Amino acid sequence: MSGPLRFRFLAFVFAAISLACAPPASAEPPAPHPNLRIGILAPLSGPFASGGSSFLEAATLAVERANEGGGILGRRVELVVADSQGRVETAKSEAMRLISREKVFGIVGAYLSEETIGAIEAATAARRILVVPVAATAEITDGVRRDYPRYRYVFRVSYSIPQWAAMMAEFLRQKQARTYAFVGAGIRWNRELAGALKTALSVHNIVPVYEAFYSPRNPAFEPVAVAAAAAAPDFLVLGDPGKNSVVFVKRIREGGSKVPILSVGGSLGDARVAASLPLTGPLYVQAAAWKGTSEAATRYVAAFEKRFGYAPVGYSDTLPHDAMTVLLSAIRAAGRQDTDSVISALEKGAFPGVAGTYRFDAAHQAAWGPGSPDLHGTVIQWEKDGARIVFPRR
Amino acid sequence: MNPLAQVLVDGIFTGASYALMAAGLALILGVVKVVNLSHGAFFTLGAYVAYVLESRGLGNPLAAVLMAAVIAFAFGVFLCKSFINPVRSHPFSVAVGSLGFAILFEQAAQMLWGPHTLSIDLGAPVAVVDGVTLRRWGVISFLVSLGLLGGLSLLLSRPWGLPLKLIAEDEEIAGSVGMDVEKIRYLTFGAASSVAAIAGALLAPAATITPTMGRVPLILSLIVVIASGMEKVWNIFFLAVGLGLLSNVSAYLFAPHWSYVLLLAVICLLLVFRPKGLAAAGPARDY
Repeated sequence: MSGPLRFRFLAFVFAAISLACAPPASAEPPAPHPNLRIGILAPLSGPFASGGSSFLEAATLAVERANEGGGILGRRVELVVADSQGRVETAKSEAMRLISREKVFGIVGAYLSEETIGAIEAATAARRILVVPVAATAEITDGVRRDYPRYRYVFRVSYSIPQWAAMMAEFLRQKQARTYAFVGAGIRWNRELAGALKTALSVHNIVPVYEAFYSPRNPAFEPVAVAAAAAAPDFLVLGDPGKNSVVFVKRIREGGSKVPILSVGGSLGDARVAASLPLTGPLYVQAAAWKGTSEAATRYVAAFEKRFGYAPVGYSDTLPHDAMTVLLSAIRAAGRQDTDSVISALEKGAFPGVAGTYRFDAAHQAAWGPGSPDLHGTVIQWEKDGARIVFPRR
Repeated sequence: MNPLAQVLVDGIFTGASYALMAAGLALILGVVKVVNLSHGAFFTLGAYVAYVLESRGLGNPLAAVLMAAVIAFAFGVFLCKSFINPVRSHPFSVAVGSLGFAILFEQAAQMLWGPHTLSIDLGAPVAVVDGVTLRRWGVISFLVSLGLLGGLSLLLSRPWGLPLKLIAEDEEIAGSVGMDVEKIRYLTFGAASSVAAIAGALLAPAATITPTMGRVPLILSLIVVIASGMEKVWNIFFLAVGLGLLSNVSAYLFAPHWSYVLLLAVICLLLVFRPKGLAAAGPARDY
């Protein structure tokens, strides 16, 4: 390579690396001052970066709000951010780094069920509180029930798979569905959700007529969309919260099917994405909360939009926001920065968030459910002029 | 509607979309003789160009294709000239370097457009014939891949394509008869990058646009190129369509997660019996 050309290439590589390595705007550098340090463990790069970045933004909003109110126990809250990259091993090692090097008091994370299991191992070994904001697999809270002394540090703010299925089942019952098709990604929790939904719906005599899980490496959406539509279900339940759910909706609608779709939320809750979709059939999206479900939710959406320039999706942002709020409220309620006291406060207290008031059961699972007065979730329907809340009935 | 008829038509379209990506990759493998793992990044670049134009109210597919092709060509020539060409005699360096470039591009895309899933309007299907929907992106993929591979085949059968054929055959001889081998390499790399970007711009409405969206098409097009061999242009198209059909029909008849397994199993079997790919089946080569 000639000299100038080599220099130009090196300059390009240097510029690109500098860009890639620049820290997120909201991450604060670690500083040796007596702040209350809370770790955020989220996939900020790789295929799950979309959900991870909303996670970080929402948690940042919760911390900013706490700091505007004078901090927690008179101390400023400082976020320490770690990128799990959506990988189990990275999540585990980053959780260990947050604990041993960054000396965080507690962690909010991770994002995927698999990486959360890795983070739990690190947090419980170091006896640090881990608040799980999104992951749904049963394994997370099973540990608390099975071996309390070891796993008592883990609390889940998000809905468990049976709770999720119960909320969706109640919606489908109210819609008087008799049959449904389930389509999801070929990952563990999606299969668990399909099983839980089948159990929850069997009580109402709502039966599955088609079930398929596509591979993320070669999703083969078209034959799944064709087969699902050919099964003629009353409802199509879309279990994938990721970007592939958007492609699937495009495929089924361009094939002419008008079957009502109920999505578990995530990418399909994004107003920018929904605006590009053909709304030739009803598209329902499940969410933890939405603008209008409560005053707190409306205030949160307005603050989020003002701060980040887009509307939250009501799932991968709202739940991390509430996870951070719950942890900070528990520290305040405990009156001191002590792990055992905060665990006790979390176990006994009630903590208001955007989606409702969080109370934890013996397995440290927040009490979500269709009958819950506090945390019942919501379902919206996308229409040409935006979203309309359709569940719970008012 | 006959569901199987729809699945078969969709399989042909899916295969055509593999061929669209594989065409450029095969050109680079044949002429520049490197495995370019940054090919998916150019696909992503094309999709983002389409998104930017759409979000500014300029959602014209032709404009997106032209702009994506020009940007990708310039970027491709730069990449080939500054990195690929100097290290091309070291296959591992090329693989690691081009993969590194792809990751850098993903990070840059994330910083420019954010990590969130983006989507643009799909457009109505082209037609519905006897209940079988002709999906817009599918028809476009099919026609453009036919056009591109037909054009490449024509080029290689005419005197203008002689430099490409000669360089693919023997670079030293090409150089000794006065051909500017390096320049042809740069132009080939740039043109192949343009093809990937065109594929991205055309398929963007059917997909979701994210920084990592080029990974799946890269792997599928690599599979097609390796299995078809690089010597015969039409093999790429027919194998891609065959794999598209196999993938869709198996997903429909068995289960979607089996389609990828079956596709890879067929490729492995093919390579066991024909290690040089399908090209070994015939005596003549296009280049």
